[in-house]
Amino acid sequence: MKIGGSYTLPVARDRAYQLLQDPEVLARCMPGTDHLSKVGPDEYEMKMKVVISAVQGLFAGKVRITDQKPPEQFRLAVEGSGKVGFMKGGGLLTLAPATVTTGMSIRGSEGTEVRYEGDAQVGGTIAGVGQRLLDTTAKMIIKKFFEKLAEVAAAAPQPAAT
Amino acid sequence: MIPQNFEYSAPNTLSEALALLSSGNAKVLAGGMSLIPLMKLRLAAPEHLVDLGRVPDLKAIREEGGSVRIGATVTHYEIESSPLIRAKCPLLAEAASNIGDVQVRNMGTIGGSIAHADPAADYPASLLALEAQVRIASAKGERTARIEEFLVDALSTALEPGEIVREVIVPIETAGTGVSYQKMVQPASGFAIVGAAVRVRKSGGKVAFVRVGITGLAAKGFRAAAVEKLIEGTAGSAADVQKAANVVADGVDANSDLSASAAYRRQMAKVYTARALTQALARIS
Repeated sequence: MKIGGSYTLPVARDRAYQLLQDPEVLARCMPGTDHLSKVGPDEYEMKMKVVISAVQGLFAGKVRITDQKPPEQFRLAVEGSGKVGFMKGGGLLTLAPATVTTGMSIRGSEGTEVRYEGDAQVGGTIAGVGQRLLDTTAKMIIKKFFEKLAEVAAAAPQPAAT
Repeated sequence: MIPQNFEYSAPNTLSEALALLSSGNAKVLAGGMSLIPLMKLRLAAPEHLVDLGRVPDLKAIREEGGSVRIGATVTHYEIESSPLIRAKCPLLAEAASNIGDVQVRNMGTIGGSIAHADPAADYPASLLALEAQVRIASAKGERTARIEEFLVDALSTALEPGEIVREVIVPIETAGTGVSYQKMVQPASGFAIVGAAVRVRKSGGKVAFVRVGITGLAAKGFRAAAVEKLIEGTAGSAADVQKAANVVADGVDANSDLSASAAYRRQMAKVYTARALTQALARIS
């Protein structure tokens, strides 16, 4: 399953890049995840509880960040498995300066467009019976992640200007 | 497969049901057409089920103040065959008759269907075209939401924990309105790959009123405002219909799965919107 899209965050590119690499921020923004524990350089373990309608899936897995080119791009790889199935995905995230026109911006019109392009595989019971809804669900989880990230970005105190 | 153990309550009154649901972990059971298969596959494992099937309050279909009020546990078959709904909200009866198969229509309920909010469910297209409202009840009181507000995203609604759908309020159809629901059916599941619901009226030979609701194409059902705008004021000729239907998927993030890619769904949305418009126009009495 191909995954792709973009989301504009209401912060400057350096700051957006920094937020996307911060395990605490990632943990807060991934739906159903409360902790990422470091297991290696840029590699984290996580537990994710996905709740969609009546379905509850508990996934245990890993997040790895590679190919960093701050502040332009990096690769994110996620894999997890649980009783209901497994998932594995990875993609390239590209950050570009953008203009924010909404009221969300906290520093004038500075914003960052995050584009993501990747591939995901889902298997097990959840994919067998839920194939029809996988694409829609993946989009929904990604949207929730970025919405929360934008919220965190807008609320977090800016690092002191130098 | 056999579901995990769960508590089961079957209250006889609405207040009893709402009290049980306000306590926390309970999950509502209506017709069980989505929930029970998920439980058997152990994708869902609620600790406590509150079965609404014995609450007489939720089973009523009644006419009140220019609307038909349909209780949450009224089945698709009851909607399809109700003389009141067939006469006063024919679009909804047509949509109900298109749902799943006869077993699903006998058991499945309107409240359960909209609360589950499957992106491919049949009702959203019609309920959006009908500008229906949803009356929501909880132990704390009641509120009413427009169907657009109620459907939040794929499989998510505006229902808060402890809240249930009490009834769906559908305005009585105005005389001289032509309606149609056209659906491309996924043969195995009976779900809509795309579905288009249309209500249309003419005045002086021109389209004076039109509502178009679409399901299956995106994460949630939506009103195709661009289509409505293009067809309104025209004579409703075949060319007018095609021109309007062609914009139905513009700017829409289309769903994709094994039975229909996003591009194919967009194309089918145009085809089925055109069919629904054509048939609704032909049905204007």
